[in-house]
Amino acid sequence: MTSRKPTQSDHPKVHEAFGLMKAGRMDRREFIRVAALLGTSAATAYALAGLPEPAFAAGNLPFPADDPNAKAGGILKIGMEVQKMEDPATYSWVQMSNQTRHTLEYLAMTGPDNVTRPMLAEKWDAAEDLKTWTFYLRQGVMWHNGEELTADHIAWNIERWLDPKTASSNVGLSTFSAMVEETPEKDAKGKPVKRMTKGALEIVDKHTIRFHLNKPVLSAPEDLYNYPTAICHPSFKPPISDNMIGTGPFALAELKVGDKCILKRVKKTTNGKDFNYWGGKVYLDEIHYYNFVGDNQLSAFASGTVDGVYEFSVEQMDLAKSLDGNIVIARTAQTICCRMQVDQKPFSDKRVREAVTKSVDNGVIKNLVYPTGGDIGQNHHVAPVHPDYAPLLPPLKRDVAAAKKLLAEAGFANGLELTIDVGNTDGPWHQTVAEAMRDQMKEAGITLKINVMPPSKYWEIWTKTPFGITAWTHRPLGTMAMSLAYRTGVPWNETHYANPEFDKALDAAEATLDVNERKPKLMKAAKILQDDSVMVLPVFRPVYTISAKNVHGYEGHPTQYHQFNKVWKS
Amino acid sequence: MLKLIGSRLLQMLLIMAVVSLVIFAIFDSDKFKKQIAVAELGGFAVSALSDQDYQAWLDRKGLNVPFYDRYFKWVAGVARGDLGRSYEKSEPVSQLLAKRLINTGMLAFWVFALMVPLSLTLGIIAGMKEGSVRDRAVSFIAVLTTSLPEIATAIVLTVILALGLRWVPANSAMVNGWDWRQLILPVLTLVLYDFGYVARMTRASMAEVMTSQYIRTAVLKGLPYRRVILRHALRNALIAPFTIIVLQLNWILSGVVVVEVFFQYAGFGQLLLDAALFGDVYVIQAATLVAVFIAVLSQIISDIGYTLLNPRIRFS
Repeated sequence: MTSRKPTQSDHPKVHEAFGLMKAGRMDRREFIRVAALLGTSAATAYALAGLPEPAFAAGNLPFPADDPNAKAGGILKIGMEVQKMEDPATYSWVQMSNQTRHTLEYLAMTGPDNVTRPMLAEKWDAAEDLKTWTFYLRQGVMWHNGEELTADHIAWNIERWLDPKTASSNVGLSTFSAMVEETPEKDAKGKPVKRMTKGALEIVDKHTIRFHLNKPVLSAPEDLYNYPTAICHPSFKPPISDNMIGTGPFALAELKVGDKCILKRVKKTTNGKDFNYWGGKVYLDEIHYYNFVGDNQLSAFASGTVDGVYEFSVEQMDLAKSLDGNIVIARTAQTICCRMQVDQKPFSDKRVREAVTKSVDNGVIKNLVYPTGGDIGQNHHVAPVHPDYAPLLPPLKRDVAAAKKLLAEAGFANGLELTIDVGNTDGPWHQTVAEAMRDQMKEAGITLKINVMPPSKYWEIWTKTPFGITAWTHRPLGTMAMSLAYRTGVPWNETHYANPEFDKALDAAEATLDVNERKPKLMKAAKILQDDSVMVLPVFRPVYTISAKNVHGYEGHPTQYHQFNKVWKS
Repeated sequence: MLKLIGSRLLQMLLIMAVVSLVIFAIFDSDKFKKQIAVAELGGFAVSALSDQDYQAWLDRKGLNVPFYDRYFKWVAGVARGDLGRSYEKSEPVSQLLAKRLINTGMLAFWVFALMVPLSLTLGIIAGMKEGSVRDRAVSFIAVLTTSLPEIATAIVLTVILALGLRWVPANSAMVNGWDWRQLILPVLTLVLYDFGYVARMTRASMAEVMTSQYIRTAVLKGLPYRRVILRHALRNALIAPFTIIVLQLNWILSGVVVVEVFFQYAGFGQLLLDAALFGDVYVIQAATLVAVFIAVLSQIISDIGYTLLNPRIRFS
């Protein structure tokens, strides 16, 4: 263990966390994550924890250290779906954000080690009550048009995200949900319109911005790397692909939706000045994304058409192993929710929902779809990979007799017929899950019809269907996933779940720094959700990717975010 | 003949008018407008839009005007050569369509160049002596390749030739520019699938001709067998396959979606599928017009060819 201690300049909670670590109540990895979130540099946090800093970041930069053997130049070709880029604040696919990630950057960046480091922000600090966060921007960050990034620009972005007209999912993130309040205005559905709280944003000076939150939030920096929080220039008007002004080392040279997205290094600003990138050396000349859907990505890699892929499926693992490449496996919180809308019949009757969840064996389903890797889900959205997860809840057990009894009590003694909508938005394994559920539910007297539809069709109805399978991507914290999807009234609350007791438990978890103290609080919220039987969440899946042997520094990220600043080709 | 062509072209215009109107009406529904919004903004974002903001988005996209207004505007545009702009790909439809038609045309050319001689030769050889070993062997192969769905043939060929032997690339995306090697697998898949059908039709036609009185007479007259086949049997035996071959034009244009998608070949079929999934109405409209045009054109070619091959047939 280290002999170093936090200094006066570190946040009081860092001292607290350090004490917890010394007492053995917080592991060293968690301490590093918490210290970095509270403004301590990643290097210092690693030193305090007595660990060497990994190659994920160097100095005050969020990127890995320069590789002395690195060769500059070359084109990195990636197989991925090439999608339309309309408005970064309303992105609903990680692929869209990958296309802009090297142009539009973020205030913070979470690395593959789950540690969040400053990116466009040079550092941040938080008040002791975690309700006031101050972000200090790097000075001299240059937009592609030659202007300097200022706090006004950040404020413009945040105000835009919080404007109901933008319809950004960012509103559901803990940090931003703590910056809005209900107004007397009502929308067409009669719901109160939420707007930004007056004074929630304070521009301290040209390079400093302060958030005043109406509740304590621990995950502010992590929220600022959520993929729809890319920072745009205030001149932005959708679609972003028409005039993308960013701060990143690459600019969009060509976009053909469904074909290719070509990014080229920025050498000059649009007003003719030399472009100085704040983030140090970048090796590649160009990044090319080529449109390959699903399983075609690996066959493109096998042909040597691309140097790496966004993802390949579990069914392709044997093929991937036979190829000359580096396979990267990331344990994630990516999942599917076979969720029921709690205000729609027959799911408005909790006994029906319970009958559904009790008739299904999650372990069997997990082993069927992901026999290697992945974790069994427990019908709540906190994954074992989340640092705030704890195995405090007893494993779920299938109970067909209880399911039948509940159905009878609900008035379905002669059986119940249900239809589940499946869009296979994340691959055909969604349908396999539905088929396994159908077979298991049959024993309990539930006839499950599976309504398969194209992915795009499913996204039209995902918030409307009473019973459907929705894919959710990885979020670094369990609290983030729970807050986005199950908090009362948030835009992505597809279950229409509204439980003040749950919201309160989640608030309490989000306001707790001590991870050992937070774990039971978060699991309390998870238990409430589990007991209310709003979904069957059978598996947290691993993600697989592969890169060519001559590609160096290609990291697997649990959210599949691409950050190729230090990637090079030999 | 000119009258026939004139009447077919008139029919074509009528079909185009009716089909385009029907498509516009269908795609004017709230359901399809929502489909476009979801595809463009994402399902998560659309669900967060208020009704008022959704209506504002429809206004911006020009989708909030009555469909007949949009339809007549589109018809006027088509008359000027403007097929509209793709919602999904943000490109003029005419440019998009031209590129995809060239790609599919290239694919079709090689498929026809290989499939027609192969299937005619094998069909004729098989039909010359019905029931012979040659006939049975050709029939067996033809039935086998035709009964395998294109997707199965594509997978088998990819596994063996691309992933196993590594002789050819596994996809046809042409990422690094035009590469004829990338055309091998889709062409081979389509040839294998289609040749059996044409070969069997040719074989049936040839076998029928070989049993006719005039062939028997020619043989009994002592004409050399080669001359009987080439001068007397072949012309009549080719009438039926000719029609079938010309009609394959339709199939190759819009029926090869599976092959184009599997090999990621940027052709007309893949464009049509993408547009249908996105609800990209202007692309669907333009693609439909092209499909109708090709269908009518292939019928005209078929009718003219039929007349030339069979002098007994005359159109009045």
